[in-house]
Amino acid sequence: MVVSIGGGPEGEEAPGSAQPAPAGSTRRDVTRRLPVCALAAVLAAPVAAVIRPRRPGSGNVPDATVFAETYHGRRIRAVCTPRRGPGEQDRWHVTVDDRPLHLMRRADGTWLSMVDHYCSYRSPIEAARAAVDELGPGEGLRVLDPGPAGAGHMHAGDRHGVHA
Amino acid sequence: MAYTRRDAATLTRAEKRRFVKALLEVKRRGEYDEFVRMHIEYFSSDGEQGLRAAHMAPSFLPWHRRFLLELERALRRVDSSVTVPYWDWTRDRTTTSAPWTADLLGGNGRRFDHQVMTGPFAYREGHWAIKVNVTDKVFLTRDLGHPRDPIALPTKSELEWALKDPVYDVAPWDSTVTRGFRNKVEGWGTGPGDTPWHNHNRVHGWVGGAMLGAASVNDPVFWLHHAFIDLQWYRWQRRHRGVRYLPAAPPRPGDAQHGRIVARHQSLPPWGVTPDELEDVSRIYRYA
Repeated sequence: MVVSIGGGPEGEEAPGSAQPAPAGSTRRDVTRRLPVCALAAVLAAPVAAVIRPRRPGSGNVPDATVFAETYHGRRIRAVCTPRRGPGEQDRWHVTVDDRPLHLMRRADGTWLSMVDHYCSYRSPIEAARAAVDELGPGEGLRVLDPGPAGAGHMHAGDRHGVHA
Repeated sequence: MAYTRRDAATLTRAEKRRFVKALLEVKRRGEYDEFVRMHIEYFSSDGEQGLRAAHMAPSFLPWHRRFLLELERALRRVDSSVTVPYWDWTRDRTTTSAPWTADLLGGNGRRFDHQVMTGPFAYREGHWAIKVNVTDKVFLTRDLGHPRDPIALPTKSELEWALKDPVYDVAPWDSTVTRGFRNKVEGWGTGPGDTPWHNHNRVHGWVGGAMLGAASVNDPVFWLHHAFIDLQWYRWQRRHRGVRYLPAAPPRPGDAQHGRIVARHQSLPPWGVTPDELEDVSRIYRYA
């Protein structure tokens, strides 16, 4: 299920456009708009409280959960793939206006983004909103090329990736 | 013979001019952007896998000490009289005081898009186009004090709170520790919930714009800020005589921090020096 949160028409998301879609997932996602009271609760709560599995009871294939909202005119989209085993963590892929926002997780479970790197937030969505707050008019995210030393920082290795 | 790093507020007009000129030349040669890239590469977070060298780790201080030395070497290849000045943000606390003058780093960003319009690093001057960045912005930005949601610079007493801690760092050696000089000066609060910033982190937030992001090195104030942080390590060592960098030995296999941090005699990437070798740099430079 896609949980779409947004106050205006631009908050509507094309169903099933989440990238990357995990193997075995369907694209028949349903967009559900939350009532205003639920919206307020969602905005105040960590994202874990609002995400839902896309296909409950689907066996060993991880289901992605999609979260989408329009925030200050920017389209925030987050896809969470649950961990596959006890040694792993959930994996998040977050975009702002369809461009990847690199996130890092702190040991206390909070999140920071490449745009706002010296402060952390309770959830990937809050970190994404904070990043949007800092973007100037017309400014978009950029994916860095790997450095000459093979930095690859922005390209999601286990060390630096959005995988948490 | 050791050279001297000075308070930015005390630099002569000629010293400021030479520092700026050397920075612009390092930028022109393409060396500066590699510093930006390197800082992005080594900023690993403690909730993920792998070694943390630059942040959320005991080696925050020696890593940045060596990083500054590398920049300073690049500057001194251009002009051997130049050293990195420091910004004492416990004294120079306004948006127009040092180092925000037109003859040094230039001023605040304009309200509309936070673009810095004054001084040698303003985009329109033609010498400081941002090439390595986390957004598509090509001009330097600042948002001093973050007026939309105001942030205060750390005070002298907040810095003192860090300096009086007699232990360098404590397990688990990450951003969650509430004791030890290292994280009190680096400035990670504990969460989730409110995560107050302290000292080093708070200054990044106060300057805002480029300084808030992973590509913070794009604002030359990065170096003046970190020179002041580096000076605090020196002051802490002077106050707590004989107290050393910790951990002295690496965490053992089975410890969650095994392979995640750099112990006193371990190699610090990318340079291969040890924190032990960087604890005393009095033969290279001193602070005035």
